[in-house]
Amino acid sequence: MTAAYVLEQIANGIILGSMYALIAIGFSLIYGIVRLINFAHGDIVTIGAFAMLASITAFHAPFPVAVIVVLVVGAAVGMLIERIAFRPMRGAPQVTGFIASLAVAIVIENLGIMTVTAQPRNFIVPAYLGAFIRLGPLQIRAIDLAIVVLAIILMTALALFVRFTKAGMAMRATAENYNVARLMGINIDRMIMLAFAIGSALAAAAGLMWGSKYSQISPLMGLIPGLKAFVAAVIGGVGSISGAMLGGYVLGLAEVLFVGLLPPEYSGYRNVFVFATLIVILLVMPNGLLGRSTEDRA
Amino acid sequence: MERRSNLVAVFGAALAGAVLVYGASSVLNPYLLSIIAFLGINVILAVSLNITNGFTGLFSLGHPAFMTIGGYVTAIMTILPARKAHLLPDLPAFLARMQWPFLPALIAGGLVATLAAIIVGFPVLRLRGHYLAVATLGLIFIIQGLATNLDGYTRGALGLNGLPELTNLWWVYGWMLLTLYVCWTVKHSSLGRTMMAIRENELAAACLGVKITRTRILSFALGAFFAGVAGGLWAHLVTLITPTSFTFLLAFQLVVIVVLGGSGSITGATLVAAALTIATEALHPVEEAVGLYGLSQTLLAIAVLLVLIYRPKGLFGMAEPDLLAWIRKLPGRQPTHSGSKRHREV
Amino acid sequence: MKSILTRLMTAAAVIGMLATVPHVKAADPIKIVALYNLSAGGLASIDGPSLNGVKLMAKQINDAGGLLGGRMIELTAIDTKNDLKEAATGAKRAVSMEGVVAGIGHSDTTFALASAPLFQAQGLPFVTSGATSPDLPDMIGGEMFLACFADDVQAHAMAEYAYNTLGIHNIVMWTDNAMDYTKGLSKYFQDRFTKLGGKVLLNDIYMTEDKDFSALVSRLKANPDAQGVFASSGPDTAGIIIKQIREAGIKLPILGGDGYDTELVSTVPGPDLSDNVYFTTHAYVGLDTGTAKAFREAYQKEFGNPPENAFAALGYDAMGLVADAIKRAGSTDAAAITKALNETTAYPAVTGQIAFKNGSRIPSKPVAIMYVDHGKVNLKTTVTPQG
Repeated sequence: MTAAYVLEQIANGIILGSMYALIAIGFSLIYGIVRLINFAHGDIVTIGAFAMLASITAFHAPFPVAVIVVLVVGAAVGMLIERIAFRPMRGAPQVTGFIASLAVAIVIENLGIMTVTAQPRNFIVPAYLGAFIRLGPLQIRAIDLAIVVLAIILMTALALFVRFTKAGMAMRATAENYNVARLMGINIDRMIMLAFAIGSALAAAAGLMWGSKYSQISPLMGLIPGLKAFVAAVIGGVGSISGAMLGGYVLGLAEVLFVGLLPPEYSGYRNVFVFATLIVILLVMPNGLLGRSTEDRA
Repeated sequence: MERRSNLVAVFGAALAGAVLVYGASSVLNPYLLSIIAFLGINVILAVSLNITNGFTGLFSLGHPAFMTIGGYVTAIMTILPARKAHLLPDLPAFLARMQWPFLPALIAGGLVATLAAIIVGFPVLRLRGHYLAVATLGLIFIIQGLATNLDGYTRGALGLNGLPELTNLWWVYGWMLLTLYVCWTVKHSSLGRTMMAIRENELAAACLGVKITRTRILSFALGAFFAGVAGGLWAHLVTLITPTSFTFLLAFQLVVIVVLGGSGSITGATLVAAALTIATEALHPVEEAVGLYGLSQTLLAIAVLLVLIYRPKGLFGMAEPDLLAWIRKLPGRQPTHSGSKRHREV
Repeated sequence: MKSILTRLMTAAAVIGMLATVPHVKAADPIKIVALYNLSAGGLASIDGPSLNGVKLMAKQINDAGGLLGGRMIELTAIDTKNDLKEAATGAKRAVSMEGVVAGIGHSDTTFALASAPLFQAQGLPFVTSGATSPDLPDMIGGEMFLACFADDVQAHAMAEYAYNTLGIHNIVMWTDNAMDYTKGLSKYFQDRFTKLGGKVLLNDIYMTEDKDFSALVSRLKANPDAQGVFASSGPDTAGIIIKQIREAGIKLPILGGDGYDTELVSTVPGPDLSDNVYFTTHAYVGLDTGTAKAFREAYQKEFGNPPENAFAALGYDAMGLVADAIKRAGSTDAAAITKALNETTAYPAVTGQIAFKNGSRIPSKPVAIMYVDHGKVNLKTTVTPQG
């Protein structure tokens, strides 16, 4: 096992982790504001990928334009879901929202199956994204670098937004204390919409990355990344945005290094390892790595 | 409430249910029988999950993990020893030689699942809410991964096929009655009130001397036992069990049933489990007729959303509506012995 | 109580009727059920075309006046939703339908194991179009037939081709450990390959839902002696595996089985990366001669696109095989059909002539070896394995 080999594994872990982190942020953002575990979040990943496919193949949009389209579509779908499915049952017990999100997920997946069929299809990206780039001892593809860079840009933008803009502060205030925020004149409905819009746009961006990297998309593609990102959000501490980022990278690295550094006989135990790690982390730190101890606001 | 007359009514309902099972077994075709059997298994699963999720308020998604454990254990006990040696070379000799009748095999499946729940429960049940949910979700993947990779004990991805078709309506009905009876008794006992006290306010319950950990583990283990048995029944109905027979999607379905019925309501869980099973099956021919595969799930999911919007506490909340009384009040019906209980069951 | 009882009974009756009463057609149709995974999972990309093939054959027979003097084939397609319970209940529903004479279906062994035993129990023949485990007939019984060759045959063919023709003596193997098909294929390949004198340098495993193979790719790179990779994969991961191996700059030949036979193998990696890939499959649907050509044109006309892969042809052949047996049996009696199926000596299928010899219910057919050259899939050769 050479140093270059280990370095390569670490790079792979960071790439995978970037995508997990982007999806996980949405889980945490939405949870922070409305205390909702939104299981339909993984399907926004799917929608992002298909939006990309549609804008490139049907409308021949240039790649950067298509990226914007994906972000907008993701945000729009997120807000739409919030308006139709979650707003009518606000104030219901936490588990009700969770079930509702499952129902939304099933609706999105099956609508997808009925319209574009369950058969996986290929996903075309511009050739320059496939080019090799040399980074010291590492040789990686442009798309991989683009994923990491885009993820960092999006996450920095989010951090700046939350920290310094008025809307961002209002959002933090809402997450801190819903009722006090309302008394302070913050429009709660708008804050919730905003959380869904931002979280979903990031998930859609992850979907476009997922599709570009693996070149294969299907209506059910968001299921596993969504689930893993949920795990990442919990590892980081649900509700904490920085926790979600950290959790995403921890999970991505752990997954790749587990398979990469152990003998091949253990490769099949990848998921066993991921979830066992999760349980261990939770036992040691019951609120996740960066989560704060808060009572469930049922 | 006149307890005695209720007791008679419940007993009568069980008996009438048995008559119906007898009738169904001799009249209906294998397809309808298997649907009714799945319906019963779903009732066992939903009602037993209700102990954990409804009564104690632990948001567990772990049922499929316990079903997998129970299903494999039951199957290993019922396979002919001669076949076992060939299928599962790594099995310890004493297990390889054994062949048990169905009932002890099912109980063994349930007990091993219970044991797993106790072992896992000690650490995991300290977690709360969604943290517990994701930990139990993880349990599904862990058990699934082990079942896939421990070839010598489980035959890996191929699973165990050609199991004897032991599960019939009688087995399902019997276990369903037992599940309902146990859940009902627990709910209306001091144990049940302890569980609900934990659900409502853990701190207050602890202050009143409730043993939190013990009660949580008890409810988790009790749910796991019936899940294990249901896994065994399922495996010997389909005559096949694989690592992916019971996935997290099933866990979601079960949680949906519990929440729709009203967390803690046995009646609700039973009725919704039955209704969803029938609806899913009834929509299949519709789906095939219009050629839109995926339609049935979409319609059911939309129905779930509508129920949640208009009845956010589920259909029955915590309550057990007195269906017997309701039926007695129906105009033009004489008070009958059987009541509707059976309908939920068959 | 009665009202609920009546309602329940009515509901049951309605379901029963929906399940058993068919759309009314000409006198006494011949009922056949096809079970496939249509609405979920990667299997949809081989099951969907298979069902299309089944439908096409049934339509052609009906257009030509049906069977047994004008009796039409009435096909019911059941979606088993990538769920074993659905496969089992679907099969129960099928065998409970009034007058069903045979079942067709599935491209994966696990699913065939869930549904075929129910046909077996009712004494109805079941022909699988694409489930390739050689143990299937023994595990299920006398009613179980394969329209395709079995995995041992295709794996042996690939092992011989790799060792003798391609000159690959050191190989790295990847196996999807979550599928029975891929595990079996690897086992048969390794048996034959090592028996020929080849050496397996590394046995790496993964699970179907994995999409990130970077760790396996790195490990492959660390084996400079490898002359090729045998990646035993289903349709879900085949394209992704090729893409990720090629992206890492590894140019070694990649070998696989019939799970590669979907367009994903060339479209997912793209024409530049999908290169130097060999896989075995049932037939080359691009052939310009004989039955293959006629089939391809009819398929194109019916569905608006050429056959997606060999599984479309297998579905077509499975239906044809059953129809041929009904014709020779001269009746729709299940036992007579099974007997006729067993006596099949030369059914001219698109995927090669089908004959059930020496009591075997798996046809001995030649294996097509396909070569992917810059995204183009071409027939390289056809082989019949030696041992």
